[in-house]
Formats: sequence, structure tokens, C-alpha cells
Amino acid sequence: MPVRPVCLAAFSLWLVLVTFGAQPAEAGDAPPWMHAQLNGALPAHDDKTDAVVLYSETTLTVQPNGKIKKLYREAVRILRPDGQARGTIRIYFDPQSRITDLHAWCIPVSGKDYEVKEKDAVESAIIGVDGGELMSDLRTKTLRIPAATPGSVVGYEMEQELRPYVMVDEWGFQDTVPVREAHYTLQLPRGWAYKANWLNHSEEHATEAAAGQWHWSINDVRAIRVEQDMPPWRGIAGSMVVALVPPSGQDPGIQSWHELGAWYLGLTRGRRDASPEIKQKVADLTASIPTTLGKMQALARFVQNDIRYVAIELGIGGHQPHPAAEVFSHRYGDCKDKVTLLSTMLKEIGIESYYVLINTERGSVTAATPPNLAFDHAILAIVLPADLETDALQARITRPKLGKILFFDPTDAFTPLGRLSGALQANFGMLVTAEGGELLELPQLPADTNGIERTAKLTLDDKGTLRGDVHEVRSGDRAAAQRHELRATTQDTDRIKPVEAVMGASFSTFQILKATVGNLRVPDRPFEWNYTLEAESFAKAAGDLLLVRPRVLGSKTSGMLETKEPRQYPVEFAGPERDTDVFEISLPPGYEIEELPPPVNVDDGFASYHSKTEIVGRALRYTRTFEIKELSVPVSKVGQLKDFYRIIAGDERNSAVLKRVPP
Amino acid sequence: MPVFGRTSIQGLIAVLVLCAGAPPVQAEDWLPISPEELTMTSEPHAPGAPAILLYRQVDRDDNGPTETIYARIKILTEEGRKFADVEIPFYKGTEYVHSIQARTVHSDGSIVGFNSTIYDKPIIQARAVKLLAKTFTMPDVQVGSIIEYRYKHDFESGYVFNSNWVLSEDLFTKYAKFSLDPYRRYAMSYSWPAGLPPDTAPPKEEHGKIRLETHNVPAFVTEEYMPPENEMKFRVDFIYIADTDAAPEKDPKVFWKKYGKRAYRRVDDFIDKRRAMAEALQQIVAPGDSQEEKLRKIYERAQRLRNTSFERRKSAQEEEREKLKSAGNVEDIWKHGYADGNQIAWLFLALARAAGIPADPVIVSTRDVHFFNVNAMNPNDLNSNVVTVTLDGKELYLDPGTPFVPFGSLPWSETAVPGLRLTKDGGTWINTPPSKSKESRTERKARLQLTSSGTLEGKVTVTYTGQEALWRRLEERNEDDADRKQFLEDQIKSDIPTGADVELSNRPDWDSASQPLVAEYGLKLQGWAARAGQRSLLPVGLFGAQEKRAFQHTVRIHPLYFNFPHQSADSVSIELPAAWQVSSVPKPCNVDRASLVYSASTEGKTGSLLLSRELTVDAMLVLTKYYPTVQDFFQTVRARDEEQVVLLAAKNAAGH
Repeated sequence: MPVRPVCLAAFSLWLVLVTFGAQPAEAGDAPPWMHAQLNGALPAHDDKTDAVVLYSETTLTVQPNGKIKKLYREAVRILRPDGQARGTIRIYFDPQSRITDLHAWCIPVSGKDYEVKEKDAVESAIIGVDGGELMSDLRTKTLRIPAATPGSVVGYEMEQELRPYVMVDEWGFQDTVPVREAHYTLQLPRGWAYKANWLNHSEEHATEAAAGQWHWSINDVRAIRVEQDMPPWRGIAGSMVVALVPPSGQDPGIQSWHELGAWYLGLTRGRRDASPEIKQKVADLTASIPTTLGKMQALARFVQNDIRYVAIELGIGGHQPHPAAEVFSHRYGDCKDKVTLLSTMLKEIGIESYYVLINTERGSVTAATPPNLAFDHAILAIVLPADLETDALQARITRPKLGKILFFDPTDAFTPLGRLSGALQANFGMLVTAEGGELLELPQLPADTNGIERTAKLTLDDKGTLRGDVHEVRSGDRAAAQRHELRATTQDTDRIKPVEAVMGASFSTFQILKATVGNLRVPDRPFEWNYTLEAESFAKAAGDLLLVRPRVLGSKTSGMLETKEPRQYPVEFAGPERDTDVFEISLPPGYEIEELPPPVNVDDGFASYHSKTEIVGRALRYTRTFEIKELSVPVSKVGQLKDFYRIIAGDERNSAVLKRVPP
Repeated sequence: MPVFGRTSIQGLIAVLVLCAGAPPVQAEDWLPISPEELTMTSEPHAPGAPAILLYRQVDRDDNGPTETIYARIKILTEEGRKFADVEIPFYKGTEYVHSIQARTVHSDGSIVGFNSTIYDKPIIQARAVKLLAKTFTMPDVQVGSIIEYRYKHDFESGYVFNSNWVLSEDLFTKYAKFSLDPYRRYAMSYSWPAGLPPDTAPPKEEHGKIRLETHNVPAFVTEEYMPPENEMKFRVDFIYIADTDAAPEKDPKVFWKKYGKRAYRRVDDFIDKRRAMAEALQQIVAPGDSQEEKLRKIYERAQRLRNTSFERRKSAQEEEREKLKSAGNVEDIWKHGYADGNQIAWLFLALARAAGIPADPVIVSTRDVHFFNVNAMNPNDLNSNVVTVTLDGKELYLDPGTPFVPFGSLPWSETAVPGLRLTKDGGTWINTPPSKSKESRTERKARLQLTSSGTLEGKVTVTYTGQEALWRRLEERNEDDADRKQFLEDQIKSDIPTGADVELSNRPDWDSASQPLVAEYGLKLQGWAARAGQRSLLPVGLFGAQEKRAFQHTVRIHPLYFNFPHQSADSVSIELPAAWQVSSVPKPCNVDRASLVYSASTEGKTGSLLLSRELTVDAMLVLTKYYPTVQDFFQTVRARDEEQVVLLAAKNAAGH
């Protein structure tokens, strides 16, 4: 490993703190390493900063037998009442990351220190997460530190024994509050080495403090303030990923995506063996279908709909799927179980397919991410037969060795074969083939695969009442969301609520006279709403004028950028999107157009908006198109996006002026 | 996930008794399933239901104590399959869930037995408590399947505690049977405060057991502006009285008379420190003070005491170190300088009496989470202390034990509730006065300029009084200036229909009980006026955002419940750009639906506009049958708020 000079001052301070930290603390007293944090300037912060991390320290010690111990220390000064939440620490652990020691302290503004220990903690499974695991051995310990009030310094020290499936550690040194100093120490036995990769931060070089001991320090790390539609934490927070390399002759660990994929492939070995029952089911489902695509769709629908999502993830079960035969027999499983079963069934009709591990928050894993298990989901890459008509299968790419591969998520019951939800598009996943793992980017689908098309034919009377029919066609995620919402209703009378919500945001007074849903349970086809509305007082009388808003329904604008603080991070869209509206309003007899709103045409590259109000015969016709073309808007263009939304808001408020004409 | 027959540990009466061990579960067959149950695809009484409870049985024996549960669920949609995941919470060490059996029956009658793992899932494990859940999922559950399971839930021998039968479950219940064998050594009362489902006979006692059968119980749903959830559920509450003095009586009047006498003695003992109170009084009032002045000073002084009920929750270590002394009487409170809210009310009572002002203790049942039911004969429901005083022949109800409550008022949860006014002979029932809408006002006054680009800019002053000021002060009582600033800015933003730039410009008085809460802002609202050729259109409902979102859903199941009556009054003056003219203004609007009143007017002058708007909600509970009236009222409000002033721009004015 290269040894570089280190900032002597910072290193000395760290050494002092570590040395004192090793001394036993008096019962109840916070340890010296915490008391040492009381002096010194706070990192830069504003009056909305709840707390600052004064000090954090991670020491990872690898023993010759490969066992790993991790010591973590953190001291935080609470600045505001909202910072009191820092007095409650929550630590996640499982059998691979057992907590061996846990202490926490408070140095209050006045009076003696407080101490709490592991036995004071509350242990809990991860509960109350909709769609979460039914059973998992992931647990939390929650420890409440006394007197965590503004002005006090709270801190804790935790030791864990790690037995990671992949010999990688990650040092995340950034926080939602400013960090004054953060330290990481790696202690390796003779013959071991490491490889460090930096994410969202320039590389910092280590100092070799002693034989086999390396140390990194970072000071004054700025806070990540949570913003709406910001990139995922892993996509912006500074961290160092350390891959541990055992001496030659031992298991070499995971150094590449290729090796990570090979490891995962090992976990799935034998899991995709088809039982007689599976073979029979495949035959039953496909026998009468003449085409390969039809057979694939039938199998996909079966796994999407008939295999209930139930996650039971114990031990390696967090990564390793259950055998296909078991999943089929129980008719339940989690994402990787569903992938396993579908892959097994596809194989029975001669279609090869592979696991793809992915993170559902686009940007958590990028081309720059070093190999690690930063995934939370599994989908399938299906190798398409060369002779298959693939026009409808848009979620595909071509690989030199595999040819055309189609990505498909059997856990998502609302997105048909051929499409992908927005969160998975342009996202990076690890493809696992017999040759190992490969990190690749999934395709971004055309904008017109996701959106809402509204057309309305309406009539306005001279009292200002609007009546007529609206036809709404939803595709992609817009359709999936609506299907999900309607499926979750518990009574028929709630089914109209999505339409009521749109109408409520658009009209002061309205009645839905009739409404029907089309293709609710046919995800292969667009979702449709047809409804008849009546909206009193839609047009406002003003003397002999009638003021009419041509944009009848729905809104495309957003106020999320109307904040005092300047934007820190890019804006992430859920997916590409194209929405269109065509509203035609027949004018009341005796009125003529006096003024029309001007057309709007904006194209900022990442998104565009075009609207037009015109007179067609005796009708006012409003058309608009809203399109999101790029999934991420950089900070440098956020001002443009803000203006973009303001322009849309202005257009949506605009009115046409009708004037009564003498008979 | 459905959990049936789960008994609450709240209200636990830890009474050690001798009892026999729980008998083993009888190995009996599953109940027969009818062909109709197998093949049904929907339930006419529950259209759209994802699943329904075909059958549910809860048999509880408090002499065990043990409970046997049986549940049969029909899956009607894909979404309903989630009910195949089952969690049965229990406290490890004191409760034992066993003999779990389950199966899936398909619509063709084929049966899939359950032989999967049952997990013990930790919900909370701490030093003193281990709450786990028996967790399992049923195999091969499809739309049309029937799932059923049963189990026994044994409780620690020797503990008897209050329980209930909750009839309103998340799922529609076709048929349910309940039984309770009460513990025989203690008196017990039971009641069904929310009534019973239609055609359900009240619980019957047969051979010492209480039984109930019910049919077609609707699934319970929640809605905005609904009364406390528990009050809307059909349920039967069972209450044991371990204290033989407070044993339930056939006649609740007799019960409360007896209870009132004992409660009065306890209060009387607590406040009976006349000399100490007389000395304390000297420090509070001046000799020449009128009775009202004295009372106000006592109130203010009591309210100024450190009130531990409204402090940050402290850890056991902090409490131990702080060593706060418990108060045995009002003299202790005065010496300590602190007490909880209920004790502060009694101190106020003692001081008022020391000043020669007639005053009585009242124990009330707050209506924030529970509605009082006199027939339940549960003294724990009387959970808050209030003092009634007679001043100049007028009766006042006061609670200085709640910070920031203005003299003469009560916090909303203590208004319009029953209370027991304690006297030597047991006391009398009273109802605390409701608060009036005019006492809880939000007044918004704005002086704004309209720019030629359609932007509104200027100053806004918002004044909150009564309950409107009180809840905000209580909510922010432990926050700092930055948080309070953000809170108030968010408040005004939520009143304005579109995104606005607001900046709080004053330092509101957060600590006063007697003064309104006044917030002043700088406001900038871009694009408020929209262009239409040479005209500009300016909506009049600047502060109508709250009403814009209210009561949009056509169907209503529960009554509407407003915490307190309230009013808002807006006065907005807008200076127009030079040479702009008012072309037309909306007509005045007055809507009076008795408890809902709205008025709005717009006055156009040379170079300026004056927008006025008042809204009164003078109701707390509105029955469901009146929902269409409420909905219609708010639609009218929204329609008027969207009316526009037509302005004519000067010909040489800059466009926008």
C-alpha cells in the first residue's frame, strides 16, 4: 500500500483521542474521547442546524483468522430542540453483525455525565413497513440517551463482530448535519491488503500509523440537507468502500463485479431445478399458446399474480433465494424467489434467463460504484430468441455474447413483460451469468411509454356550468399507480377517489355523474377512465364577461423548488413521461371570444411544455403536451426547472375571456 | 394483518389470584364450510371488499385466564391475500400462544394443510418487557381461497385485566360469536358505548358466562375529521373493579354517588392546608384587590408554576437524579414550586378558597381520545381536573394546569364534556361549557401591492386567539425560535392556494396566556393575477387553501368532528399599479347554514381593492346525514374564493 504524508496536526489529535479513549471511563462518566470534544470551534452551520457531529471514529480490525471487529464512536453536540432526536440511537444488526458492546453517554450542559448501556436498549424487528419482510433476522437496538437537550454532547461507542458475506466495509462519513472530524482506521494482519474506493468524494490518502494499520481523516464535512426528489443517499453521500484482500492462498474475497456475480451464482446453484409440479404447471399454462412470446407472457403473468409476495429472509436468506419448487408449492416468495421460479419456468420452454441484482433507488449504484452488496431487489434478464418479434419488448438491450436480453420484474404485478417501471430504467444492476457478474445499465424507455392522455368534450352554459365527458388513458407507471390504488381500496365507493382528487384540485364544485374503469386487471393494456362531470361555477361571470379556464383538469406544475434555501442536489424524476391534454369546450350561445391566453412553448432539453388555446368553430380548444426527457436535472439547471414550473403554473391559471354579444 | 381478540394491557389490574392452570385445547375438527362459502366471489353487504371474515369466534375465560380464537377468512381479491400473513402478539414470560392450527381451503374444496414454520418475531424486547408475535403465513392462498386458523392464548396465572370484544374489524364480519367467563372474585361491569351492529342482541349472561353473537358487521374505515376512532367502533368493554368500594352497581347513579364521596374526600385531604394557603395567598394578592383581581392573580400564579405534565419526557436516570418530590398536599406543591397539571388545578382550588372565593373541584373526561360513558362506571375515564368558581354570581370553569389557557377558558378537550363536580354528598354531574367560535379566531390582515407582472407583495398580520392560539403555543412550547418561525411560516403558506415566499418579521409572544398570538410576515406571491390580453384577472380567495381541500369525497360514513368551533376573518387591501382600473368585481356572497357561515365581499376603489372574507364553523359534531349540507357549503366557499376581479391594465403598462 502506498504511504503518503499525513496532516500531522490532525493525526496527532486523533492519536491523543484514541489513546485516551482506550482508558476505562469512570462509572457513569463519559469517556475522555468524548470530553476531548467539548472544546474547539463548531463546524460551519446555520441556525436551522439541529446538531453537529463533533467526532466520529471507525476502527476496523481484521484478525488473522479472518474475524472482523468494528469499533464505532460518535460524539454529537445538540444545538436545537429538534436535535434531541440525536439522543436516540438506532443500530441495525443481524447474525453477521452482532453487537458485542454498546455504551452511550451524555455530557449535559450542567451536572454530572450520564451513561446508558446495551442492557438499557430496546430490541425490535423491523416492523410496520408496508410490503416489508414477514420475517427477517435484521434487528434494531434503540438506546435513549438521557438529557439529550440543546447544548449537551451525546455520544456512543459500539463494538460489532462482523462476518460479512462479502469482505467489504463501507465508511460513510457524511451526515444530515455538519461533521467536524471523521476518522477511519484499518488494522490488518500480516499478509492482508486492502483496496479503497471513494464515492462522492475525492480520494483521501491513508497514513500508515503502524505496521498493518492505516488511517484516514476528514474534517469539516458539510451536511446533506434533505430535499424533495433528491438523488438517493448513496448517490450523494461521501463514503469510502474498502475491499479486504486476504493473503494469497486464502479465499481472495471479492475484488470485482465479476467475482461478486460468481459468488451470487454459487448461492443460487440448484435453486432453479424444476420439480415435476413446476413442469406440469408450465405445460398447463403454455400448451395452448402457439407463440414463444405468448408462452413467456403467460409464465410472467403467473409469477406476477399467483405467487404472493412474502419475504422470509433469515441468515443468508437475505441474499439466497428459496428453491423454485418450494416457492411454487407455497405460492409465495420474495423478489429473488419470484425471479428464481420464473427463470425455472422459462427454462422449461427453452428460454434462458439470469438474475439481475439492482437497487430500486436509481443512482444508488452507478458505473463508478465499487463492487459491494448495495442492492435491494432482484429482477430477471431474459435472453430473447433471435427469431422473436421484439418490437413490443422495449426494456431490452443487446449484449455481445448474449444477444438481446429483456429485463423484467416479476415482483411488480402492474408492469407487463416488455416494460420496466421508471425506478429501474437507466439504473445500474449486476447481471449474474455463468461467467460471473457484470454491472450494466438498464435501458431508458421512450417518454411515451409512461403518461396520461386526457381528452374531454365539454359544454359550457351561460351560467358558467361545465358538463361533458372525459376520457383518460394511462400507461406505464401512471397506469401502475392507478391500478395499485384501486386494488388497495376496501369498498367500491372508494374507487372513485382518484378521480375525485383530480377534480377536487381543479374545480370548486363538481359532480361525477358517471365513471367507469377500463383494463383494471389487464396490465398489458393501458388503464382507462371514462367519466362524465358537471362543474357549476366553472366559468366566472364578470359583468358581461365570462372568464373560462381552458386548462380544465389536472396539473403539471410543482412548487417543490419554491424554497428559501438554494437547491443543493439534482432533481430526480421518477421516470420519463409524456402527458397530453386535449380539452374542447363548446361555448354558450350569445357569447364570443374576447381574449385568448397566449400559447406557451418551452423546451429546456430535460423537459418540454407546449400549450395552445384556439377557437375551433364554436368551441374553445386547449391542447398541451408535457414531457420529461431526462431523468436527472443537475443543480446548474435547477433554476431553469423552477422557471419551467412557474411558466406551467401561469399557463394553468390563464383564462379566456368571453363576451356577451347583443342578440 | 388480522389479530383477533387481542386484549389490551392498558387498564391492567394486577391482582394476584389463585387459579387453576389452563386446560389443554380440545383437538376438534374444523367447522364445516358450506358450498356457498367455497364458491362465493363477493359479499353483497361489502361490495369491493378484498376479503371478509366469514366466521370469528372468541372464547375467553378469565378464571384461566385463557382465550381461544377461531378465524375464517374468505379471500375475494388479490389485495385480500395479505390477510394470509398472521401475527399474534404476546408478552413472553407472561403469555403463551399455542396450539396454532391453520389451513387453506380452495374454492373447489381441496385443502392445503399448514406445516410451515411459526416464527417468534420480536416486536419489542427490553429489560422489563418482551413483546413478540407468533408469525406465520398460509400456503397456496389464491383469490377465492378460504383461510382459517385457530389458537389458544394463555395469560399468566393470577392476573385479571380489563378486556373487550372489538366487533368492528378491518374486514367485514359475516358472523361472529363471543363468550366471556368472568373472573368470579371481582365485580365486573360491561357496556357497548358505540352501540351494537343492527340486529345484534345485547350480550346475555347464561350460567355465569356472557355471550354475544353478531352478523354482518361492516369493516371499519377511517376518515378525515372523524371522532376518536375507538368511539366509532362497535365493541363491548369489560371493566373489573378490584377496589370493592368501587364495585359496579346496577344503577350507575348509585355507583357515581359512592365514587364521588370518596373522590371528594381525597381532594379535600389534598387541599386541606388552610394556614399554608393563607400564607401563600399573601404573596400573590394585594389586600385591596377585588375578588376577580384576586382570582386572576391566583390563576396566573398557579399557571406560572413549573408544570411537569408539559415538559420534555425524561429518562429514568434523569428523573432519579432530579429527585423531584411527590406532593402529598397543596402545601407541598407550593413549597416545591412544581407539580403536574392536575395537582396545579387543586392548588388553584385551595388558593381560591383561601381567598374566600367559592370554588369546587370537578373531574372531567377529556374528549380528545375518548367519549365518556356514564354507564361504563369506569372512574379512570374522569382523567382531568378542572375547578369551577363562582364570581359575581357567574360560574367559571378554569384549568390552570394547562399552560397558556386564557383565564375563563378551558383547553378544547375539556370543553363540552361531562364532569363530576365533587361535593361531600357525592357531587353532581355537570357539562363544561363549549367554547364559542368567536373566541377562537384567525384574523389575517394584509396590505399588499400588485405589480404589473401580476405579483402580490406586502405585509400580512395574522392574529390567533382562544383555542387557535392555545394549540399552537402548546405544540411549539418546547421548540426554539428557528422552529417556531418555520412553523408559523408553514401555517400561512398552508392558507394560500399557491406557492408563496413568506418571511416572519416579528417575534411573537409565545409565552402569554392572556394575549393573542400575533405573527407578521412579508409576503410575495408571484403570478397571482393572470393575464388575459389587456385584462388581468385576480382571484379573491387569497387565504382559501384550507377550504379548497375540504370534504371532496362524496361518500361519508362517520360523523364529522371538529375539535372546537372557530372563525377566520380576512381583510386584504391591494394597491393596484398606476393607471390600472377595476373593471368588475365579484358580487358579495353570504351563506348562512346556521352553524356554518360564510361571507365575502370585494370593494373596488380607484387604484385599490379591498377583499373581505369571514368563515365561521360553529359546530363540533355533525351527523353523517348532514354531510351533503357541509359539502355543499364548502363547495360554495370554494366557488366564491375562485371568483376573480377583472382589472384593466394601462395601455402602456409592461406586459408579464
